[in-house]
Amino acid sequence: MYIHKTSCISAQNTFSDIDLETINQSENNVLKVREPKYEGIPAGILRRMGKAVRIGVGSALPLISSERKPDGIVIGTANGGMEDCIKFLNQIVQYEEGTLTPTNFVQSTPNAIAGQIGLISANHGYNITHVHRGLAFENALLDVKMLLLENPNAEYLLGGLDEISDYNYNIEYLAGWYKKEAASNIDLYSSQTIGSIAGEGSAMFIVNNNPSDAQANIVDLTSLHSNNIEDVKTWFIAFLEKNNVTVEDIAVLISGENGDVRLHDYYALIENILKSNSSIVHYKHFSGEYPTTTAFALWLAIQTSNIDSLPTHFIKQKANTTNKNLCLLYNTYKGSQHSLILVNDIRK
Amino acid sequence: MHRVFVTGIGVISALGDNVASNHRALVSGDCGLSKAELVKTKYADLLHFGEVKVENETLIQRFSINDKGITRTSLLALQACNEAISDAALSQQQIASFDTALIVANTVGGMCLTDELFNDSNTKTEGSPFLASYDNGSVTLFLQQRYGIKGVCNTINTACSSSANAIMYGARLIQHGIVKRAIVGGADSLAKFTINGFNSLGILSSEFCRPFDETRNGLNLAEGAGFLILEAESDVKNKKVYAELTGYANTNDAYHASTLSPEGEGAYQAMTLALAKAILSPEKIGFINTHGTGTENNDLVESVALKRVFQTVPAFASSKSKIGHSLGASGGIEAVFSLLAMNHQEVYPSLHFESAIPETGLIPVLKTHSANISHVMCNSFGFGGNCSSLVFSKV
Repeated sequence: MYIHKTSCISAQNTFSDIDLETINQSENNVLKVREPKYEGIPAGILRRMGKAVRIGVGSALPLISSERKPDGIVIGTANGGMEDCIKFLNQIVQYEEGTLTPTNFVQSTPNAIAGQIGLISANHGYNITHVHRGLAFENALLDVKMLLLENPNAEYLLGGLDEISDYNYNIEYLAGWYKKEAASNIDLYSSQTIGSIAGEGSAMFIVNNNPSDAQANIVDLTSLHSNNIEDVKTWFIAFLEKNNVTVEDIAVLISGENGDVRLHDYYALIENILKSNSSIVHYKHFSGEYPTTTAFALWLAIQTSNIDSLPTHFIKQKANTTNKNLCLLYNTYKGSQHSLILVNDIRK
Repeated sequence: MHRVFVTGIGVISALGDNVASNHRALVSGDCGLSKAELVKTKYADLLHFGEVKVENETLIQRFSINDKGITRTSLLALQACNEAISDAALSQQQIASFDTALIVANTVGGMCLTDELFNDSNTKTEGSPFLASYDNGSVTLFLQQRYGIKGVCNTINTACSSSANAIMYGARLIQHGIVKRAIVGGADSLAKFTINGFNSLGILSSEFCRPFDETRNGLNLAEGAGFLILEAESDVKNKKVYAELTGYANTNDAYHASTLSPEGEGAYQAMTLALAKAILSPEKIGFINTHGTGTENNDLVESVALKRVFQTVPAFASSKSKIGHSLGASGGIEAVFSLLAMNHQEVYPSLHFESAIPETGLIPVLKTHSANISHVMCNSFGFGGNCSSLVFSKV
């Protein structure tokens, strides 16, 4: 499947004037999105939207042209509108189940994002929301892969997004997934403690089967549920074999390394299998950690066809990558969910 | 493309905690709706619910669960999932192979734990045991770990149509040869969150819900779980087969966040495309398990859409008139009910109906009777304009 258009709202300058050099810094261990002005969304509708719906719709609309509507909208989000969800919950508690306004409730359902995109773009096609925590975007990707086999001439809007609110920050903080000490995204990878920096963002793609003028080809993807590093190794090697790919073929590994010392072994495992053959790019200092960061990683993979043009802050290891065009995304969410996405940069 | 057969079913609803008890209640036209006894809410006595009268502790003991962080949604899911797996006689080796997928629909997750979630999301004190159990994915991950599933796992939330989409996703994984079998379905539990949410929209009835009745005034929220085992034809061999999943479609109404368009475009397209996928003309459908929530909007719009699709609307009923609306679970539970109707060649009544909606004049099945059913349709429509229809066919 071929990616044709991309759009991304993140904590960095990724939306209209893309600037990969400048790094916006985290505040209180959180990287919050830089929201654009949302010129395509009517003000009355925009006012009622929660942040997840805003960044989802806001990043999707630039990709939806008036000439060709996508044949379906396929979204991955672990949580959808957490802010609205807990706001509504707090109202229930505060007013002791009194008379409540439904806006927060309606905005909080994860499928409100795909629903709103469908509504604003008058799209009656396939419309789905995958919410499988750290593999929500991967399932959206697999869904589109199947859809393109079923409908070879179709075109789909694919997206992955999540928001960070004070509330889900609090839950994940208590569970030990964000750092307890004051930390900075700038030196995330040298951290020797547990937890990461929180983030949020939305990345959207137009995907079809047409190779001409495409930006990249998603060759294959796979996912795994396991805490066992041997399982991860076996699964990783099986994926390469299934795709007839050797470690020498991988030009770039885009690693989901997030500064959590508990996850270090998983990323080290993959890096060690690839050894010095591949360049290694990391990005969570730029995006922060959230369940659908692989959508951001895929967006980043497509931004540059040449690792030399990527700012050095992304680069962990640089290898001689001439004549190679395969890029591999590896991510683990909390060490129990793992994914691999193999991307062929066809612009080379 | 591989054909997809249903080889196992499991259900827990307000009518009972297994397939046999639900079937008995359907045949005798029982109503499972009642005041709430277990869920803690101000509305317990004021509204009617499709509550499962089994306490969490009973289920925790039944399954010997030691983990403190397991929610009611996960427990209901496990009950129905276990029944479906043993019905299909899946071996542990099959369940734990890379060839088995687990696709779970769910909208409430751990939000049934209002007080714990309130504290865990608002205060920086020590967390509760439920920190990893609030999201929708937690239900699937609980089942995944319990069964040791290694194949594709996914959680789907398209509001009230979630289960139908979970069934579709599992079927498509089989059709593409990605897996050989899929455990598919949905679960949701009653929660202060959804009770207050639907109440704030003014669509909960304080009486028994009256789907397709002229005087209907809202839905009754419910809980439960329904699961199916889907297997590739080539793998089924001599197994008992309930049906083939021949048709399915997912569309969007693209009209409003929480109401359906007057002409029911999303519903119309879902039914039409599901029939096209099954390569069936509308008159082949012997029975329709409608979405039929009992709200003014849904039942009128669904009736309008039914009349657009079918020249003569076939026998139809609302399962929600008996068990209420269990949101993300409803499509799974009602798929089980649809399969029971086809396998026993009978239709079950829609309850609390007196007079037809004047604009459409449709009258649901009013008492249990035998029927010739070769194909059954099951509708699920949800917030966000999400509409899905499934067609199961006799094998």
